[in-house]
Amino acid sequence: MRRSAVRRNLTAHAFFLPFLAVFAIGVVAPLVYAVNLSLYQERMIGGTSFVGLDNYAKALEDTLFHVGLGRVALFFAIQVPLMLGLALLAALVIDSGRLRAPGVFRIGIFVPYAVPGVVAALMWGYIYGDRFGLAGEVEDLFGVDLPDFLASGWMLASIGNIVTWSYVGYNMLIFYAALRAIPDELYEAAEMDGAGSIRKAWSIKLPALRPALLLATIFSVIGTFQLFNEPSVLQALAPAVITTNYTPNMYAFSLAFEGRQFNYSAAIAVMLGLVTVVVAYVVQLVTARRERML
Amino acid sequence: MRSSMKHALTTATAAALALALAACGGGSGGGKSDDGPKVDPAAVQGALDKPATITFWSWVPNIEKTVALFEKKYPNINVEVVNVGQSKDQYTKLTTAMKAGNGAPDVAQIEYFALPQFALTKSLVNLADYGVGSLKDKFAASAWSQVNVAGGIYGVPQDTGPMAMFYRKDILDKLGAAAPKTWEEFAALAKKVHEADPSSYVTYVDPGDPGTATSFMWDFGGKPFKVEGTTDVTVNLKDDAGAKAYADTMGPLIKDKLIDVTGSWNDEWWKSMAAGKYPIWITGAWAPAVLEKNIPQSKGQWSVAPMPGGASAENGGSSVAVTTQAKNKEASVAFAQWLNSDPEAVKSLNSEVGLFPATKVLLDDPGFRSAEVPFFPGSKPNEVFADMSKAVRPDWQYLPFQVYANSVFKDTVGQSLQGGGDLGQGLAAWQERIKTYGKEQGFTIK
Repeated sequence: MRRSAVRRNLTAHAFFLPFLAVFAIGVVAPLVYAVNLSLYQERMIGGTSFVGLDNYAKALEDTLFHVGLGRVALFFAIQVPLMLGLALLAALVIDSGRLRAPGVFRIGIFVPYAVPGVVAALMWGYIYGDRFGLAGEVEDLFGVDLPDFLASGWMLASIGNIVTWSYVGYNMLIFYAALRAIPDELYEAAEMDGAGSIRKAWSIKLPALRPALLLATIFSVIGTFQLFNEPSVLQALAPAVITTNYTPNMYAFSLAFEGRQFNYSAAIAVMLGLVTVVVAYVVQLVTARRERML
Repeated sequence: MRSSMKHALTTATAAALALALAACGGGSGGGKSDDGPKVDPAAVQGALDKPATITFWSWVPNIEKTVALFEKKYPNINVEVVNVGQSKDQYTKLTTAMKAGNGAPDVAQIEYFALPQFALTKSLVNLADYGVGSLKDKFAASAWSQVNVAGGIYGVPQDTGPMAMFYRKDILDKLGAAAPKTWEEFAALAKKVHEADPSSYVTYVDPGDPGTATSFMWDFGGKPFKVEGTTDVTVNLKDDAGAKAYADTMGPLIKDKLIDVTGSWNDEWWKSMAAGKYPIWITGAWAPAVLEKNIPQSKGQWSVAPMPGGASAENGGSSVAVTTQAKNKEASVAFAQWLNSDPEAVKSLNSEVGLFPATKVLLDDPGFRSAEVPFFPGSKPNEVFADMSKAVRPDWQYLPFQVYANSVFKDTVGQSLQGGGDLGQGLAAWQERIKTYGKEQGFTIK
């Protein structure tokens, strides 16, 4: 009896082992490596020395880092609600059953997500170009004066537009899947109680969507704070607008590969990871509290 | 044919040996007198007779053609040319590979401005140890001085980019203007161009292009960066005469919107170049090949003139270096040496690859100087370039961490270019960032 229990445990552990190995190599080891890296300082003159938490202390006072962080926080505050709102609307409309060919809309909205981020940024870069891009052609054709989408005042909004274009479909699909999981009995019961479409959306669909919304928001937190592809592609078109510290991720990249400050870059990366975790946690906390209040 | 070549080679080796010995005795080589070869130059040459594979990182289009000549001549050596990206992208990968301790190529293309950084981080082999110092007299002084870092030689000069003025003859003719000979004439032309066509500017400035900006400072006689020994660095962008002259010449033109501020090397910029939006392009002598490749339709419209003011500076250009991870250092050194100094190789680099030579073998060759370049029918651009190469001001130095400094150019000077041309402010900000970084890296910064 006992022996078989042990054996069963061993078998279970044997099944668990492959995952554990991949997890240790793929997730834990790089994290440990990055944290370890961040505790040293390597200089061109003087070599490597252990500096403890000095790099973190420096990051706390580094305005270049803070500016980038502030920028992505602003981006998060404006772009994410907008994108999730659009995705939600699209999911509700497709789910409403009032569209003639919902599949076409579903695919159509989702297709931009299949376009690689770098390609999307390149494509939009050409569209934004006010001399020879689509924006420039529209200006010439209609004699209107569009703003320069690649100027510093517009850049963040322009990047937001690219990200929204890319990810609305993805988020819409998450919401749509959650909507499809709602049992039909609920709608039937609501109908018997005399609820219309709007009421059904408000009282059945939205509450059912809450976990999906949380998931999408957390994905967006991660995506936003790690913003990198779009600004670094647009940098070629507007070099002075997108500085080396435009987003924290770009800052870490340029520290490591242009400044050879691998250690400080690792500290920045760890800090950025912590900020992301904290923001994601706060989002979850707020959602959970609201759930309890309802 | 073959035997005569071999004979020539032996003679060359002997001559190189003699020169190396002379350099030892005279102590006037690449630096200190103890920099003579530590490895027998004959061993370097001999390594080419034994089978070896050399990995060569380069982004230069068509360089395979010259490498093929090498492989034909030394059939035992197999050279793998790998393009891992241009300039900055390659340096990122090289930095990573050096940091990881493996994965670096044996031989790498490295621009002059980046050479000190890789040399000081011990990523590159000191070629003086392998007798490369004897090649000094084969190269233009401006090229040779740039591969000398902290008393060592860390690359074999491959190509240079003495600055010259490329201009659209068709457009200037229409305006009844000639190529400006001084910066005053340049400013006057700037007005004329913009008045004739408000959508056109005499030239452009790229707020993300530190290389051209530093070349201009160099051209104006500046020496904002000074390196003494390996640790003492002086940064003086704020008060340097050349940097000031650059700011005073370009700043007002940018402020008056007579020079356009724009990104370059992207699609939009090439379209502008083809459309004649910028009738003047001041850049390195490597430009013809690039123009021909990207805007072949403007063949015959461009012409070449000396720099306004007569003096010149280097813009771009690169060397070929051997990394400390090279498995077969002797063969790698011999390859780098052959590729950039063998008469057959340098001719191929120029005519087949389109590089502007660093070696006097071509620069002083009347055949080269008077050669017709198809993109510029009826003119002799090489003559202008070779003269500009001689007119390059001496003693310019790059920082031992120029790759970093260049990366934050757009954060500082770029901002002031974009923001209306108050260059003084941008240069001061750049200086600050550079100094902070230098101190963090353990340099003594003045």
